[in-house]
Parts: sequence; C-alpha cells; structure tokens
Amino acid sequence: MRKITIMLVFLLIAGVNFAFAQSRTITGKVTSAQDGMGIPGVTVMVKGTTIGTTTDIDGNYSFAVQPNYQTLVFRYVGMISQEITIGEQNTINVVMEPDVLQMEEVVVTALGIPKERKALGYSVQDVSGEELTRSGTSNLAAAMQGKLSGVEIKPSSGMPGASSQIIIRGARSFSGDNTPLYVVDGMPISSTADYSTGNSVTGADIANRAIDIDPNDIESINVLKGQAAAALYGIKASNGVIIITTKSGKGNKTSKPAISFSNFTSFDKVSRKPDYQTKYAQGSYGMNVPNTSFSWGPEISNLPDDPTYGGNSQGHPGMYYVPQLEAAGLDPWVTPQVYDNFGDFFDVGFTTTTSLNISQANDKGNIAFGIGNTTQDGIAPSTGMDRWNAKAAGETKLNDKWSLGFSSNYSRTSIDKLPAANDAALNGVYAAPPNYDLAGIPTNTPSDPYSQIYFRSLTFDNPYWGASHNTFNEVTDRFFGNGFVEFNPYIAENMSLKTRYQLGTDIYTTHYQDIFEFGSRGRTGEMNNYGVTSQTMNSLLTATFDWTINSDFNFSALIGNEFNHRNRKFYDEYGTGFNFGGWAHMGNTKIQQADESQYQDRTVGFFGNLSLDFRSMLFLSVTGRQDYVSIMPRDNNSFFYPSVSLGFVITELEGLRDMPVLSYAKVRASYAEVGQAAEYYQNYFASPDYGGGFWGATPIQYPVAGISSYLSNNVQFDPNLKPQNTKTYELGAELKFFSNRLGVDYSYSNQLVTDQIFQVPIAASTGAAALVMNGGEIKTNVHEVVLYATPVIHRGFEWNMTVNFSKTDNMVNELAPGVESIFLGGFVTPQVRAGIGSTFPVIYGSSFLRDDNGNIIVVDNPGAWNHGMPETGPPAVIGEVSPDFLLGFTNRFDYKGISLSATLDWKSGGQMYSGTNGLLDLYGVSKLSEDREETFVFEGVKPDGTPNDIVRGGPNDPDAYQDLITNVLTNIDEYYIYDNSFVKLREITLSYDIPKKLLNNVDLTVSVFARNLLLWTELPNFDPESTQGNNNMGGSFERFSMPQTSSYGFGINLNF
Amino acid sequence: MKMNTIIKYLAVPVLLLIMAGCSKDKLEEINVNKNNPLDVPSRLLITDVITKTAFSITGSDFAFYASVYTEHNVGIYNQMYNAEIRSAEPALATTYNNTWGSVYETLYNLKIIINKTSEGGDEVGNYHTLGIAQVLTAYNLAILTDLMGDVPYTEALQPGVIFQPTLDKQEALYTEIFRLLDEGIANMGKETTAAGLGTQDFLYGGNIGKWTQFAYGLKARYTARLAFRNGGKWDDVIAFANQSFTSAADEAKFVYNGSSTNSPFYTFFIDRDYFGASTSLHNKLTQRNDPRDGVFFVPYSGSGDVVFAPNGTPSQVQGYYGISGIMSPTAPTYLLSYHELEFLKAEAYARNNGASADAEAALEKGLTAAFAKVGMELDSTYWVDEVLPLFNADPVKEIMVQKYISFFESEAVEAYNDIRRLRALGNDFITLENPNNATQFPQRFTYGADDVTTNLNIADAYGNGSYVYTEKVWWAGGTR
Repeated sequence: MRKITIMLVFLLIAGVNFAFAQSRTITGKVTSAQDGMGIPGVTVMVKGTTIGTTTDIDGNYSFAVQPNYQTLVFRYVGMISQEITIGEQNTINVVMEPDVLQMEEVVVTALGIPKERKALGYSVQDVSGEELTRSGTSNLAAAMQGKLSGVEIKPSSGMPGASSQIIIRGARSFSGDNTPLYVVDGMPISSTADYSTGNSVTGADIANRAIDIDPNDIESINVLKGQAAAALYGIKASNGVIIITTKSGKGNKTSKPAISFSNFTSFDKVSRKPDYQTKYAQGSYGMNVPNTSFSWGPEISNLPDDPTYGGNSQGHPGMYYVPQLEAAGLDPWVTPQVYDNFGDFFDVGFTTTTSLNISQANDKGNIAFGIGNTTQDGIAPSTGMDRWNAKAAGETKLNDKWSLGFSSNYSRTSIDKLPAANDAALNGVYAAPPNYDLAGIPTNTPSDPYSQIYFRSLTFDNPYWGASHNTFNEVTDRFFGNGFVEFNPYIAENMSLKTRYQLGTDIYTTHYQDIFEFGSRGRTGEMNNYGVTSQTMNSLLTATFDWTINSDFNFSALIGNEFNHRNRKFYDEYGTGFNFGGWAHMGNTKIQQADESQYQDRTVGFFGNLSLDFRSMLFLSVTGRQDYVSIMPRDNNSFFYPSVSLGFVITELEGLRDMPVLSYAKVRASYAEVGQAAEYYQNYFASPDYGGGFWGATPIQYPVAGISSYLSNNVQFDPNLKPQNTKTYELGAELKFFSNRLGVDYSYSNQLVTDQIFQVPIAASTGAAALVMNGGEIKTNVHEVVLYATPVIHRGFEWNMTVNFSKTDNMVNELAPGVESIFLGGFVTPQVRAGIGSTFPVIYGSSFLRDDNGNIIVVDNPGAWNHGMPETGPPAVIGEVSPDFLLGFTNRFDYKGISLSATLDWKSGGQMYSGTNGLLDLYGVSKLSEDREETFVFEGVKPDGTPNDIVRGGPNDPDAYQDLITNVLTNIDEYYIYDNSFVKLREITLSYDIPKKLLNNVDLTVSVFARNLLLWTELPNFDPESTQGNNNMGGSFERFSMPQTSSYGFGINLNF
Repeated sequence: MKMNTIIKYLAVPVLLLIMAGCSKDKLEEINVNKNNPLDVPSRLLITDVITKTAFSITGSDFAFYASVYTEHNVGIYNQMYNAEIRSAEPALATTYNNTWGSVYETLYNLKIIINKTSEGGDEVGNYHTLGIAQVLTAYNLAILTDLMGDVPYTEALQPGVIFQPTLDKQEALYTEIFRLLDEGIANMGKETTAAGLGTQDFLYGGNIGKWTQFAYGLKARYTARLAFRNGGKWDDVIAFANQSFTSAADEAKFVYNGSSTNSPFYTFFIDRDYFGASTSLHNKLTQRNDPRDGVFFVPYSGSGDVVFAPNGTPSQVQGYYGISGIMSPTAPTYLLSYHELEFLKAEAYARNNGASADAEAALEKGLTAAFAKVGMELDSTYWVDEVLPLFNADPVKEIMVQKYISFFESEAVEAYNDIRRLRALGNDFITLENPNNATQFPQRFTYGADDVTTNLNIADAYGNGSYVYTEKVWWAGGTR
C-alpha cells in the first residue's frame, strides 16, 4: 500500500515537473545508507518551489537548474529529508539515512484510503506484520498485546483458540458489542463469537471469529481508535476499527517471484502453579471422609491411625484404606503419600505454525498466494487447535485507466476445548485432596467404563474421565474476500478522479458440539449440536476527487455508498439421556429437541468526506454518513453521523522549521458522533426454558411427550427504541526531537455515550424480566501516550524503544430509572455488573458486614460457633475490574543482523473475582489453609466498635478454623475478590538474520523466543489472564477456568 | 460500447436498486421475526403455566428451602447448608429470586389467557380455560403471599407501563384469591363451545370436573389458612372439602415422566446434592414406630446405616449423610393432594368436636393416602397401636403431626405454612430441633432481588432482609 502511495505522489510530482530556463544540468545518484543501493522515486525539488524531479529505478536523476536556484531538497518516505546547497556543483550524490520515526509515513485510514500520518486530525496506530509475528503467536489478539495504546486486550486463557476481548478506549455498551470492526483488505468481516458464553458459568469457552485470521499473512495492522477516525464506516464502527492489510506482493523489492517460508514451534506450559498444603488429608473437622470434596481431614501421616480407615488397627500397619481403590478392584491399602495432582494433569503443550507465501510484483500489478497451518496441542488433555489458512490476492492494471484486483481468504479452524466453572473439567485438578492419587487411581470401575470413580461426589466429573469421554469442539469453515475494479481517467494535470467499486463476501459455517458422555456426573449424559451459517454481502462504491488547487492548497472529496446484508441461520439439536456409553451420537439419546432460527439484517450507508490541506501544515477534514439499518423500529431506522478533524503541523510555520531540538510538532483535534443500533423485535412468545438456577441439565424439555407450549417472552421491546449515541472529542499532539530520535504522541479523548440500548432489568413483578430500551450513560476519558526513542545508533548497533501507555476511565453515570446496576454475567451471587457511579464493569456480591468506618464487624457471642468471626453483609459492589493504567514497553536491539526484542506488559490496578482461589481455601487445599491448628484473631471490630480480640482456634477449639473458612468466608463473595495487577514479559525474541552472501542470496532468519512469562502479580496462585466469558464480563470472573500458559520456542523465516 | 458508457448505463439502475434496498418497508420486512410467534392460542400458553406452577413454583426452590426450615431435610452443602445454619441465605434477596420471577411470569401469562378468554379477547366464550386460569391465578397468588406477605398485584403485570408496582396487603390479596376461585368455579360451570384443553392440560387432561374439585379444595385450604384471622370457619372448610376430591385419583398432582420432565427434588439431588436425612423427622417417625422411617431415608451409598444429619449443626460434607428414599425422577409435585384434603377435613372436625368419628375417619383416609403416596399400605398395628392413642390424647395435634409427616418432602411449602399457622393459633405441635430457631426461625421468605434492585417499594419493604426473622405474615399474626 505504501509503495502505491509513493507512486501516486511520485506521479503527482512528476506532473508538476516543468523546467524553463536553459542552464546547467546537475546529475547524481541517491543511495540508501542501509544497503548502498540506489533509491528509485526520491523527490528532488528546489526548495520553496514545486519545481523538481524524481530519481529513476537505479536512483539516478538529472535536473536542469536555473542560476537562482540555491538549495535542493531530497525527500523520500521513510528517509530523513536532506537539503543540499547547489553552489557550483554539477554532481550531487546523496546518501539518505532512514528516518527511524518515518515522518512522512503513510497510514491506511477509513475505507482503506492512504493518507500521510501528518495529515490526520486523529490518532491512528499501526503494527507491522513483523512486529506481530516475531514471537510466533498464532492468535492475532495475543500478537497485538502490549503493542498498542488505548487498546485493552483481555485473553480468557492460554488454551488453543481461547477467546479474547479487545476493547478500544473503553466500553460503550453495557451488554452489547464493544469490540472493534475488523476490515481485511477493504472487506468488513465478522470478528465476534456468534454465541455469547452468556452468564459464563457453564460449558466451555466459545472462540471469537478473529481466530480465523492468520497473523503470519498480515502485512500490517492499522487501528482507528477514535470515532472521528472511524466515522466513515458509520454505525458498524463505533467501537473503532482494526484495518488489516494482508501480504499481497505489493511491497516486493524486485520483480522476481518472492517466496517466503516460515515456521514457528513452541512449547507451552502452565504459566503459574498454585501453592498447595501438603499436610492434611481429605476429610472434614479432622476426620477422614473418603468421598468429600474437603481436605480438612487428619494429617496425612496420621491416616493409618484413623479408627475407620486406618490400617494400624486392621492388620495393615502404616497404611490406610482407600474405598476408590476397592471400587477399582485394586488393593485398597496404601501408604500415605502426597501427590502433585495439579502437575500430573498438565502436559507440555506444543504449537507449530507454518506458512508459505509466494508473490510477484511488476509494473502491471502484483499477485500473491499463501498457505498456512497452525497445529496446537494444549497443555490439558483433549484440548487443541488445528487451523488451515489459504489466500490469494492480486491486482492488475488493465490499461492506464482501469485496474482490477481481488483478495480471497479461506480458513478452517477446529478447536477442542474443556468446560469450566460449574461444568469445570479442572475442579478436581485444582482441588483434589493432596493424599488422593488422582492420576493413579482408575477413573472407572473395572466392569463399566462409564461408572466413574472419583474422590468426591460427581457434581463434577473426574477430570481424566471427562477429558477422555466428554467432547467440546468447534469447527469453522470460512471464506471471505472481495474483488474490485478501479477507474482512474485523466482529467487534468492537477486533478484526479478515481472511482472504485468493490464487492465482497464473508461466509462461514461453524459447528459446535458439547457432549457429556453416558456416565457423566453419574448420569446418562447429554449432548448439544449447534451451529451457525452466516453469509455477508458487502458492496462498496466510492469516488475520490483530488485537486491540487495551487502550491498552497490541496482539496479532496469523496462520496460513496455501502450496502451490507447478512443472513444467518442457527441450528440447535439437544439430546438427553444416552441409552448406552461409547456412542455419543444424537441417535443414541432418549429425548431430542431441535430448533432453528433465521435472521437477516441490512445496513445501507451514504457517506462523504471533504478535505482541505494548506501548505502541508493545516489539514481539515469533514465527514458525514447517513445510515439506514433494518434492526431498529421503522420510525427510527435512519441516522446521520458527522465528524470533523483538524491537524496543524506547527513545525511547518516559517521560523519554526529546522529547529535543532524540536524536529516536528503537530497538534490535532477532532469531534465525531457515531451511533450503535441494537436488535429490535416486536414482542413475541417463546418456548419456555428451564435452564439456570440450581439446574445443571435442563429438567423440563419441550415438547413434552409431543406437547408444545409457549410463554410471553420475558424480554420485551420498547417500540420507541432509538440508536445509542457516542459523542467524542479528541485532542492530541505529536512531538519529535533530535532529528526524530525521540518522539511522543499523546491523545486525550472524551467519549460520552448516551441513550445506551440494553436489556433494562425491570421489576419481575411487572411480568417481564427486562425491557430493551434506551437508558444510561457512560463517560470515558482516555489518555494515551506513545513514546518512542532511538537512544543509540552507533556503528551498526541500534537500540529502539517504544512505550504504549493507556489510562482509561470508564464511568457509568446513569442506568435506567430505578436501576442501580445491571447484570452482565456470573452466578446468582456474585455477578459481574454495570453499576452507577462505578467504573465498568464491577463485581457485585455479598460483602463483609462492616461498620461506618469500613471495619469488618465480627460476631461477639461467646459459645456460638461463629464467635469472633465476620458476618455476611448486604450485597454491594465488591470489586472494580478496570485497571488504573496499562503500559506496554518494547525494547529492540539490532546489531549486524542480530536482533533482540522484548515486550513488557504492565497492568496496574483492577480487581477480579478469583473463585478458584477462594475455593482452594474452602476445600482446604490451599497453602493458606495449612496453618489450621494455630489460634487466630480475625482482623476487625466487635459490634461495640472495639478492636476484635477474640481468640479462636488452637488445640482446644479445633473446629473454629474450618468453620471460619468453610462456613463463613466461603459465603462472603468479597473474600474471593483479589487485586490483579501484573507485569508480564509478553514476549522476548532473539533473532539472527544470516547474511545473504553466506547462503547464496537466500534470506534466512532464525529466532528463539518466549512468551507470557508472568513476572509479578498481586493475585495469589493463578495467572490473572485466565477468566470466564467471551463477552463484556471477560477478564473479571474466574472459577475453575482454564489456565494461562507460558511458551518457549524457535522459528525460522526464509525468503528467496 | 465504451466502458465509460457502460458505467453510465449501469450506474443509474444500480443506484436505484440501492435506494429501494433501504426503504422503510424493505427494512421492516427484513427485520420480521421468523423465529417466534407474535401470538399463540390460550391452550398453548396454559400448558407451561401449569408446568411452571408445579415444577418451578410449588416444586423447586420454595420447597427446597421450606424443607430445610420445616426439617424435612437438612441442608448439608452450600446454599442449603447456609439456610440450615441460618447464615446469609434466608435473608438474602437473591435466595428466592428465581422463583419470585417464575411466579410473576406465570401470573403475567395467566393474565394474557384471562384477557384472551374474557370480553374483548379473541377467545371470548372459552369459559373453561378462563376458569382454569382464574383458579391457577388464585393458587399462584396464594403461594406468593403465603411465603412473602404483602406483594405487588394490582399495579403488577404491566411491563413497560408501570415500572415500580406498589404492594397490596395480604388481607386484600386473600379477598382476591377467594374472588378468583369463586369466579373460576362459576366459569367452569358454564356451557362452552370451545374445545377442551385435552392433552395440553398436564394436570387433568381437560377434565373440568376435576378442576372444579381442585378449586373447592383450595377454598378449603385457604379458609383454614385464615383461621387466626377469621376465628376458624371450620364448617366452611368441611363444606368446601366435601365438594372436592373423593379419592387420590382426583388430586392435583403434576406427574413427571422421568425423561423430558423430571421431578425437582430428584433433579436437585443429581445436580446439587445439598440435602441430608433429617434427625428431627427421623425422631418423629421412630417415636411412633412409623414404618415409613425405613422408606423415607436411605444411606447415601445405598448400603449400610443411614447417617442422620443433626438439624442446624451438620458438617458441610457431601456423600456422608443419608438421603431421601422417596425421591425419584418421577416423584410427583402435589399442588393439592388428596391426603392434605382429608387432613384438612380431619382438623376441621377435630377442632369442632375433638376426637370424633368423623375426624378419625378423615385422619384414617388421609393416612391411608399418605402411605399410598410412598408405595405403602397403612398397617393396622401402626394405626391402632401408635396413631389412635395419640389421636385420642390430642386429636388436632396428631392430625397435624401426621399431616406434617405425610408432606415429606415435595409438599414442604404447605408444611411450612401449617407450622406458621399453628403457631399463630397457639398450637406449636410440630417440634423443630434446629437450635438456631431460638432466634432465627424464618417467618417468611424474602422478596426477589429483581424487585429489590429495581422497585423502590420492594426495596423499602425488604430493608436489609433481617425482617424475615422477626415479622410474621398477616395470617400468622403479623402486619404485612
């Protein structure tokens, strides 16, 4: 893309190249300081005029100069401009230094329009393909972590294909979509999951569709963060836009076919292992109870003394009886031992990513073909991902007016998962009693593979049994791409008119399978086959007019139309009660339920953009877009969104140019309004649903013996619904110092989202649970700083660093009348909610009973079991999720082909519900629970306000500590809230670019890397980047969630 | 043709097409909901109204918690354990929230049925469905107010119109309950040309006579319920009961098929496993040498001795204590059982005339039905040696204790209502052993969190939730 723009600029300048007077001719060659090669297309101009030329393909130029010409200016994108006094010289050779800050950088803006970065009145940030993939990440979201400011990326876990939430400049919608629009080679594509994980307390994670994109095929990513930047995309882009340009051969340096091959292989392990107590056995109140989930039993070493199960009194000295071994038909008498049940379960994961890209470019156009594969075996058994990507793209000039192009992408993604929370596969892995040999004791009885043996009741499956019998899988086949035609006739020397029509499609089918095999939870199992077929058609017509009015003014105008139509069909087959085990098929279930649903939606937009530039100094741009959408009520389905932005390059002012310290300074300001629609329907009736609450499987399923029934849907719709509105203003400044060795880009943005559309929970006594209506307001202030520096360039050694800092204050100002908070996910208690006067989102649940000063009040009731212990207080906001700030810090050192780069990610502030941490205490397996025989005084005050001095526990009060944990603290959700600031070494890569001459002109780079090394966190025992939910509750709520991983690997990259 | 010309000829129709593609009519047509009906006939609504009433409202959370408070079961894990030790759950607004929502959802759909089948509705003249809907409205309203006292009703059930309904007094609600039952009985007595509910009626298969018996049975139950307030209209109770069920074949019993419908207590055990066998209930049975003791409880693992959980002080351990022996996937939910009706009658006779032959006969019928409920026959040794002496000593007390035992475990809500009614009448006949009852016997259930968080009227009434331990409902002697 950049090359094309350069060519355009080059042509434009060539068009105004005219020489008058006869005089002498100056010749010369422009070469690059990097490789000594000639640079084609360098602009050579007489300072203060529009007179000049450009270098040819070898970097040579020749130029007739008038006697009054004094200085020549050499400019080239990506190089530091140079000014040379002509004097008496006839030959002027120039060696251009790369501009580390790429001052003239061209960026891709809305609708793929390339613009000079300095012309923008809003913030845009880009990441190159090389930066994305240098540590071999197969997941695009993970690859972007730490490399962008104003963007929060929250992975749900380290499992293959795990979902992640990307939110740019804070959330705009409580319950709707907050994720950005993805545009690949001009085609807007689906990036969200078709199925939300909803309350996110059952089942497995569901991948979002951004997983289909292969980071290795990405040339560059441009992130349009603000509404002004994205305004031309209209209603779809209120959450920002991620513009992805794939490798198409455009950037090729030669006209020979270029082949690149890369492979990254990495080994994954659990990023963090909890600390366990190793002293006490399964049981309760010091008693060995061989089927309880608790490990509050006797000391492990004392198990042989147990009156019931101990062997000392039963002829098996030093041993104890394990009924599960008896059930397995094995010798039930064992010697007490401590097992590493956590470590035993997880294996070393393995990821290999291979990609091949063949491309060619010439003066007529370019063509590229690529194929890639990612194979991942997760650290947990039965988890993995297999992804194939294939692409073809090309562009060709038919003649001097017409050109054609296309981009097509195919992917197949298959993901094997494990469920979490209430269906957790890992409950036993995290919380098995230390004396129970989870890996060693068989998972089933000898006579029946579907009769589980487990240390506790089958509320959860034995993790080994579950991993080998239950199935959680999703498979997606997807094609997306577009073709376009461009018409670019000659109008005048200083004008151009380009008309472009693009027709694209995004089609995919995903099949999901959730199978609890016969015998799961001691029952007959159930299965759910479901899926979606989605087809999107996108038509985009644009006409762009550019006019260089005179040497001071440039004008451009754009008008266009976008037509987007999507059809989706969902299916759902649910079967319960297998007849027998081993054939997990719908045909083997006793009761089947089937359903389907069909949706279509359409958005039609008409838009325009006017830009005026003055002396490369002032840049004004105005956009407007009128959108018509099908998913809103008839009388409220069209709306207009405007934006205006201004950029002012201060250093272009006379007198401020060429200053020794400050080499570049720009300020910018913009304002925009963009809306967001929601799905509106007439009130309807629906088949009753009996899920949720205490129920695991669905206890009542319609049709019941062939009889159906319907109820009024308990979510109703306000017929006066209107789109929600986001008003944003953004101010920014860009400063560069010391010949661009140091730069800073700062943005402040203020967003006010009003008329939020959400399911407003209404009093159940009204007869409905929620009403989809407008209400609520979120205000967001964001400070973003990108700081970059090149502290050292010396004899081939170069040190570059970049800091991405974001501080997002996302405040819920109001909800609907009478509504203090709304539910986003979680349990009956605790929940993730949006609450008035709090940042978004918050964790809501039962709190400690506290006095007015915030001290925890303990019970003062001598003799009572809970004497001296805290009490449950009212439900309240018990945790704020959003961080104080995020900081990504990248350093890169280059020396003669050796490159070392490292990215640190720091999240400061924020809290989460760490269910597993609390439950490890409850179960009595955490290290914290080991200290159970000492006396304790719970920190707090007595009801009379005096500090608590009630001593509990110790040898004479042996039950008190277990009472405190299992009967008091476990019921206080606040106990499970933890701060989760962290610092991670997101990635570190050492690579060596082997000199070409050693390898017969083959460009080979080898690298070793590591990812996601957790350096420090406030959260005990677990990696904070392991949570439930692929929706707005992501990052806040954890309960037996799948773990996060650290990876170590190596890669090769071959180009020839 | 030159390409420029082609463009000109193509551009105009394409633009027109796009304009047509975003007209209001077209966009509305695209947004038509293909997946759900905008209206359904009342017979398709009433099926799940009945199912929800039985499974979700009478049979599930209300009954689970009531079975803890009445000591039919001992909560030994998680929420039920908390309820057992009176920590948090009994006073939290979230505890009964799901069922609170189910009751109002059911009442709202009943309102739709009543509107459809009344004057101005599209099924006007469908008197039987109207009558059934009125009876079910009365039944649900009674469950709600029995457990929660004053609740929204007159201003309720208008989503998007009234956002914060005010509360109606329980006394007024009971007036409404009797009105609905009377009107329902009247409507069910009318001639109608509308087709019967048939198989859509999971309770009675469209048998309007049995629905009418059910309505009379409810009148008997609610007349007795108000004994503290109405001075004990026991003759009315007998009269209403006489117009009700004549055998267990008539009773209002929701039957689960064990595959597409499953009984709440069994499902709760499978999904949660939060109950242990109650020492207090066991004691009542052993005191009487009641043969049901061997049927009501079984050891957790299927063999060995039943470990009984101490009421109020169990260990929070699963898989240890004994469990209910009568739960099964098909164990029915009783909206109103025949044995309850006979016990109501027996109580009324005994309150009028002490240990009369009528009272004894009703008690024997009730007890016979109660034994049949758990697959047993009432043996004469038990009847003659154990029950009759106790009956003769204190007839009302033995009737009430037998009624209490017979309610195990799915009729726990009614057992909970009886305990509170008896205490109001000064008849503390059912001995509860949970030591926490000294200060923390839940006198009622909390309002649902969905209203506490959105409806200031309910938020005020709920306060911090501690009222559940202090304030009785109106018919039990309280004020609200």
